[in-house]
Amino acid sequence: MSILPKKNELGFFEIRLESIGGLGANLAGKMLAEAGVFSLGLKGSNFSSYGSEKKGSPVKSFVRFCDPDVEIRDHSPIEQPHIVGVFHEALYKTVNVVSGLNADGIVLVNTARDFDDVRHDLQLEYGALAIVDALTIAVEEKTKVNTAMLGALYRICDFLDPESMRDVIRKTFTKKYPHLVEPNIRTFDRGYNEVQFKTYDVPEGAEGKKFTRALPQLGYMTQEIGGVIVAQANSIFKDLGGSRQGFLPEFQQEKCIHCAACDNVCPDFCFVWEEGEDKRGRKQMFLQGIDYQYCKGCLKCVEACPTDALGNLRELIGYADEHRVKQNFPYLSGGSY
Amino acid sequence: MAILEDKLTTQGIAEQVSTFESGNEMAAMAAAQINYHIMGYFPITPSTEVAQFLDQMKTRGEHDIKLIPADGEHGSAGICYGAAATGARVINATSANGFLYMIEQMPVQSGTRFPMVMNLVTRSVSGPLDIRGDHSDLYYALNTGWVILTAKTPQAVYDMNIMALKIAEHSKVRLPVIVAYDGFFTSHQKRRVEYFNDRRVVQQFVGECPTDYNFIRDPQKPVTIGAHMSGDDFINNHFQQSEAIYNAGEVFREVAAEYAKLSGREYPVLDLYKMEDADVALFLLNSAAESAKDVVDQLRAKGIKAGIISPNIIRPFPAKEIREALKNVKALLVGERADSYGANGPNLTHEVKSALQDDKENQTIVLSRVFGLGGKDFYATDAQALFDMAIDAMDKGRADKPFDYYGHVPGDPEKILKPVIMPQHGDAFKTGLIDVKMDEETNKLKVKIPPLRALTGKPKRIASGHGACPGCGIFAGLELFFKGIEGDVVTLFQTGCAYVTTTGYPNTSHKQTMIHNLFQNGAATLSGTLEAFMELKRRGEIEVADDATFVMITGDGGMDIGMGSAIGTALRGHKLIMLEYDNEGYMNTGSQMSYSTPLGHMTSTSGVGKTQRGKAFHHKDTAQIMAATNIPYVFTGSEAFPQDLVKKGAKAQWYAQNVGTVYGKLLIACPLNWKSDDRFGTTIVEAAVNSCFFPLYEVEQGETTITYNPEEKNKRIPLSDWLKYMGKTKHLLKDENKPILQEFEAEVEKRWQRLKAKHENPML
Repeated sequence: MSILPKKNELGFFEIRLESIGGLGANLAGKMLAEAGVFSLGLKGSNFSSYGSEKKGSPVKSFVRFCDPDVEIRDHSPIEQPHIVGVFHEALYKTVNVVSGLNADGIVLVNTARDFDDVRHDLQLEYGALAIVDALTIAVEEKTKVNTAMLGALYRICDFLDPESMRDVIRKTFTKKYPHLVEPNIRTFDRGYNEVQFKTYDVPEGAEGKKFTRALPQLGYMTQEIGGVIVAQANSIFKDLGGSRQGFLPEFQQEKCIHCAACDNVCPDFCFVWEEGEDKRGRKQMFLQGIDYQYCKGCLKCVEACPTDALGNLRELIGYADEHRVKQNFPYLSGGSY
Repeated sequence: MAILEDKLTTQGIAEQVSTFESGNEMAAMAAAQINYHIMGYFPITPSTEVAQFLDQMKTRGEHDIKLIPADGEHGSAGICYGAAATGARVINATSANGFLYMIEQMPVQSGTRFPMVMNLVTRSVSGPLDIRGDHSDLYYALNTGWVILTAKTPQAVYDMNIMALKIAEHSKVRLPVIVAYDGFFTSHQKRRVEYFNDRRVVQQFVGECPTDYNFIRDPQKPVTIGAHMSGDDFINNHFQQSEAIYNAGEVFREVAAEYAKLSGREYPVLDLYKMEDADVALFLLNSAAESAKDVVDQLRAKGIKAGIISPNIIRPFPAKEIREALKNVKALLVGERADSYGANGPNLTHEVKSALQDDKENQTIVLSRVFGLGGKDFYATDAQALFDMAIDAMDKGRADKPFDYYGHVPGDPEKILKPVIMPQHGDAFKTGLIDVKMDEETNKLKVKIPPLRALTGKPKRIASGHGACPGCGIFAGLELFFKGIEGDVVTLFQTGCAYVTTTGYPNTSHKQTMIHNLFQNGAATLSGTLEAFMELKRRGEIEVADDATFVMITGDGGMDIGMGSAIGTALRGHKLIMLEYDNEGYMNTGSQMSYSTPLGHMTSTSGVGKTQRGKAFHHKDTAQIMAATNIPYVFTGSEAFPQDLVKKGAKAQWYAQNVGTVYGKLLIACPLNWKSDDRFGTTIVEAAVNSCFFPLYEVEQGETTITYNPEEKNKRIPLSDWLKYMGKTKHLLKDENKPILQEFEAEVEKRWQRLKAKHENPML
């Protein structure tokens, strides 16, 4: 008898974790897969989306489980998962995190918001939504988001035995960081216990979320030969706000002395300047604000600022859009994609 | 691979345990169990992890392989060859252009007959650069004279690494062996894998190191290795080699049979899936063959007799077995993750066709498709599509299109890339606020710059929207340098974080013209660009302003592997700038140690544990090496001292335009791999300067000037006040590591005192 609650046509129960580099989704995926393989005797595979992604860039981690008599031969990314775990809410803006989710699938979101808000942003018509405030748990326990998410995922994958993960946590930390064992077990348990569920009725014959394999923007008829790019600086259309992990710099213009210390250290060229006249009528550059579209929340500028013009701010949804001062690039009309 | 489950309990099968690991981990595991003598390596994605895992195991005392971080793959191949020539056991791992960079050495190793094992973690060869997997690197290996095993799964990677050494050392073979497995698909996907509990089982299987051939080993038995030959002799040497590699096919069968008895896992020459009665088949290498088996099952359920042929060894090529397997197959599609451009089909297509040529009865229609290049995913629907083509050929009795690509798309003309901003050039980058003049009296430049506030109106050279990590130090450093440069720049970015994060196709963060080349060769490449530009101008074929500045941007990794190219360029004196951003490691590939990594610092190849404490040797003094080429201007800089850096940018431009080559080094923070807080990047590099680890100075026409002396400003701090900010150095502050810290302090002090002496004496 299979212990897996659901299987696709190849016999797999599939989980996809959606995150950004640095939150530990990859490790969580590995621990989840390992637990299934070792403590339950399932077969499993685990891998991540690959590329030169840096910290803060979107990443996916995939877990496949199957019964011991099934061969795992599929190497391709998971397109129609039974469970999606969203580690970072800001991803909704740029990534279709629920793409291909089964109609009776479960989506778990790390969020401090309500079910209905999250559902609205995910455009989830029906199915089960699970929410857990993993960030708050991690901040309170001084641990990592991924451990709290693992707790919640264990609750969802009820065929897994949470005690086996507690063992893994003990083994991982006891030797080198014994003081981290208890907080991590608490984090895991809190994730497990604090996750909440709400099911939006699945109508008869409902279909899962559609998925599409994204086609490249260009093809062999439209690429310049040799891969040359003639659209210099077109990365300015990218939105990097999703790289922030909860904090951003707050700018108070009245306290600013326009010294450019922030501009000198900003890796992402977020500071917007304009020429104006000083009190004596001389032409000077004045700092107008921050283009949060590019701000990854490193807060180097806050360190560099000699006054209190720049400060740390726990980011609330909507703040960046509301306070963004747009960079004034010399746009060409019609030049967009 | 077939697991003989029922045999697991029978006699002869050694005790095995399960783990959940990737192909790279299993290659490292096999190497550690064999306990090779030497690994010479250079990091390249996706093979890098093999050396990393071995370093981690070494840190825990789990093997004693001497791991030697080379200056590039060519150097790594040299280390391996030299070591193999002593009869020592040697292993390496590489991928893609790393393999191509060492390829000159491959036939040397096979032609002079020194066994070793190399894991080729297959990846696309540049250009354009693509870090993901295909077989274009592997296809360059086909003619090198190495035996080539192909491993489809992490389990096969482990097993074949053990078999490979035994085959390599066999008295009938004595050739180096490649174990090739798919980058990412096999190297990084984790699976349940069995391995021998006791390494002695592995060591007994591979046996004692043979000593019955000629080595550099015994002074009482001196030998000459590598005498040159003429054709009369050369052809005989190569005939021996040809015989040896065919022998390897026979030896593979023997070794695989012996290994099956020990492990319970069988590796036939060909992995045949449902081929007994197949009408249509796909011939695929490695992971794709696994994925396609699921589709065979689906087709068979529909009554279509489909099958898969996938070799476990491709050198020697199993022609006879393929002939037999295809005897009654009506249509075969050879799917290949590489092309042999212009050859009407990639290499293995021709080898399969040639195998069939010798069977006069054979009627198989052979189609050839190039697919999955650059790591393009291979889904079940793709395998289905390939089968559909073979079925179509079978039904028609001919192939409409014997050779084609699969998976390419024309693209939508509506979505063509269009310029998004007005090209910024020339006057856009001229503020007129920076004044550089040669002071005739001192023979040094005098630079005046405005308050930095005034320079905020000058556009950045690099656009927002690049993909660097939060808090990355590269771009603040580069832009402060560029602030000092007026007018146009043409840049060359060598492979590294700055390149990768600014040019993810079809996006670019460069406003002015940028060219990439691989990091062995950026300096030479830009010298060619510059000279051609000048020559075109001299001949009146282009009309452009005089003041374009050519800048080669590199990381410290690029100044390791590309050191020869950089020194050659400096010695030739081209009018260009080489600007290095030094983050003390190969951060783009996951924080391996570079020669610029300081003593004791932790990286992914210089771990901290009971048997080693971080990097074993001192940091490279690249600025002094470059100063020794007697170029007119060398400098160091940091974002923590912005005016100093902007001025140096202005001087660099003047020297590059008027005299010759300039080299500059910026110390920049890498919070991810320094394991430091994103926000402290500037603070940390400032501390590095104030601790005299990274003194700010310039060597102008041979004379050294310290441009900021922390002692004079009463700002000097102990090294520990810098090191305390970073997770990678926290261990150095512990009592047990005091001797390392003291050694590091002594080296920093020695270099600082020497620098001060140079500052005080223009003749030094």
